[in-house]
Amino acid sequence: MSLTQLRPSPQHAAPPPKPNRAKLWLYRFDTKATPYIFIAPFFIIFTIFGLFPIIFNAIVSLRTWRLDDPDKDGWAGFDNFSKLLSDSDFWNALYNTIGIFILSTVPQLLLALILANLLNRKLSGQTFWRIGILLPYLTPVVASTLVFAVFFARDSGMANWFLSLVGYGQEQPLDWRADKWSSWIAIATMVNWKWIGYNALLYLSAMQAIPKDVYEAAAVDGAGPWRQLWRITVPMIQPVVVFTVILSTIGGLQLFNEPMMFDENPQSASGGSAHQFQTIAVMIYKVGWKDLNLGYAAAISWALFLLILIVAAINATLTKRIGGDR
Amino acid sequence: MKHLGKSGLAAAAAAALLLSGCSGQSLEGNNDKAAEGAVTLKIAFWGDMGLDKLKTQYEAAHPNVKIVLNSGEYNAQHEDLQKKLVAGSGAPDISAIDEGFIVQFRSQADKFVNFMDKGGADYEAKYLPWKWKQSLSSDGKQIGLGTDVGGLAMCYRSDLFQKAGLPTDREAVSKLWTNWDDFINVGKQYTAKTGKKFIDSGTNMFNPVLSQQAVGFYDESEKLQMEGGPKVAFDVSMKAVDAGISANLASFQPNWDQGFKKDQFAVLACPAWMLGHIQDTAPEQKGKWDIAAIPGGGGNWGGSWWTIPSQGKNVDAAADFVKWLVAPEQQIEVFKTVGNLPSQPALYKDAAVLDYKKEFMSNAPTGQIFAATAEQLKPQYLGKKNGPTRVAVENVITQVQQGKLKSANAWAEAVKQAEKASTS
Repeated sequence: MSLTQLRPSPQHAAPPPKPNRAKLWLYRFDTKATPYIFIAPFFIIFTIFGLFPIIFNAIVSLRTWRLDDPDKDGWAGFDNFSKLLSDSDFWNALYNTIGIFILSTVPQLLLALILANLLNRKLSGQTFWRIGILLPYLTPVVASTLVFAVFFARDSGMANWFLSLVGYGQEQPLDWRADKWSSWIAIATMVNWKWIGYNALLYLSAMQAIPKDVYEAAAVDGAGPWRQLWRITVPMIQPVVVFTVILSTIGGLQLFNEPMMFDENPQSASGGSAHQFQTIAVMIYKVGWKDLNLGYAAAISWALFLLILIVAAINATLTKRIGGDR
Repeated sequence: MKHLGKSGLAAAAAAALLLSGCSGQSLEGNNDKAAEGAVTLKIAFWGDMGLDKLKTQYEAAHPNVKIVLNSGEYNAQHEDLQKKLVAGSGAPDISAIDEGFIVQFRSQADKFVNFMDKGGADYEAKYLPWKWKQSLSSDGKQIGLGTDVGGLAMCYRSDLFQKAGLPTDREAVSKLWTNWDDFINVGKQYTAKTGKKFIDSGTNMFNPVLSQQAVGFYDESEKLQMEGGPKVAFDVSMKAVDAGISANLASFQPNWDQGFKKDQFAVLACPAWMLGHIQDTAPEQKGKWDIAAIPGGGGNWGGSWWTIPSQGKNVDAAADFVKWLVAPEQQIEVFKTVGNLPSQPALYKDAAVLDYKKEFMSNAPTGQIFAATAEQLKPQYLGKKNGPTRVAVENVITQVQQGKLKSANAWAEAVKQAEKASTS
């Protein structure tokens, strides 16, 4: 704004030395067009890598596109979407996705909050702990999932060894992949392990911006640490909470690597012998690259996109209410 | 002004990136054309196909050809090829395709060089007829020339057999199980004596038995035929699971690899290429494994083809190389290096194959054993939906092994899932 005010408008320009036309054009170009050029790279890249795939995907979802049957290519209207509504695999995948999402997101953010609160105190080796909790985030997800797959193995897995310490599964060790509840817990554990530290650091950075005197005043008024956390810290870091909630909603609903690699036979992308833990993202992969039905896969992708929009909106509204109405 | 300066910098950096991206590409192009008439052939495959030595040999004989070998992971290579075919560019000049994926690519024959146009018709007589047919599209285009087949045999742990009081000599073991019922009975004996499981998984009973049937999941009119071959194979696998001789381990997974080391199973249906896997997974078990005939005779698991995606720029040079690669001398060379069994029956009479003994497998004459089983094989048509259908039925077997499903109800569920997969 200050720049535009400083600029003499053309009417008030001193007339005596006739304005150089080229210079004037350059001047105008500089003030009018340059800002757009500066922001253009983002929009160009977004159009190519963000907008185009979304639109292309929408077009594909309205077509029949089968790699194993090239002759069938053509417009399909809403066939793929109506197939989706009657596909029990899709509803099962939706159920799994939401189940694993709740099991992973809620404990993840709560634990991250508590962890951040602990790290916000005076500790010896503060930097060590703060960096330490970020390590799981730095581990490549494929590597960590492979380790977890062995951890949750039926025979001689470490998880079953822990269970045997409390006397569970002596005769028949728990097959983590066999049932919905056990496979969901295993997958949610992987997600939580990876993301708790990352979210804790985000919370921590926001907490450091809260003035200390607020806490002092609360302490004088007799508020304990738990009450301080919920009544002062959480409302004051609320924007960051909303951010992490939306981010983990997107990540949680798109869950792919963990259920894919956890499978006994990852090549099949079936998410367990009876699709116990097949998430929507895994189903998209299976339909697209195993059944070779790209049109239907695109339709499921769009359903997932809509689902994420809805859940993210609900979560954001709920989270805003936590702090805002107090 | 400060802000302007910053974003200006960013824009400049972005521009620089774009520019360098372009120049990088043009540089690459220049390199390709540097030598007059030079041709670079990129070859994609998985594992070790014994090409290292052959590459040097071919390059020495053809100074204008440079060969780049790209060995990757089995699934990743096939999926990458599929994506590049959809994209229309970026595929390797030559790509290996396995039996598990050949149906998928056969139905996209337009995207491959048709070997019928490259003098491939002469090759038909040289190949096992079913091998030739498997890579032939429905409108008669030949998308690849076969390299190896996975003739089936039964690998067994002679040391564990001895402990269980079973014969250890490969002739005697072969006589123990002329059919699958005998095989399951031997398993029961073994399990009763040692308390250990006999086979790795029910799915690894289902697949070999299915490959021995005249008709697999689909007949040649692409109709699902569950009541024929699949029913026979499914019943055998259920019998094995019910007999309690299966360790219920999924193949090629960490648990399975551990199963090798911890003696969790004593037999394994093994095609020629499996020997390398056993050797890599449990090198300390050298001399403890041996090979007998598979019950029911014959059978095939895996085996690959060399194909040329038609989007390549050097398809003629690629075709020349593939033809050279499948010539008898080179096929025998590959067999000696990595043990992959050639798919041209004439070679099964070759002394180099017949005399070959595998040291790791107690010096078993693997050449003779595998050649015999490959020749006995009944050709089986693999339908378009063969892959997904097989996975669906395997999943049902896994459910039984996990105790989620009673074996009495399993067949109905298998039919239901197979029908679903056939329309997926």
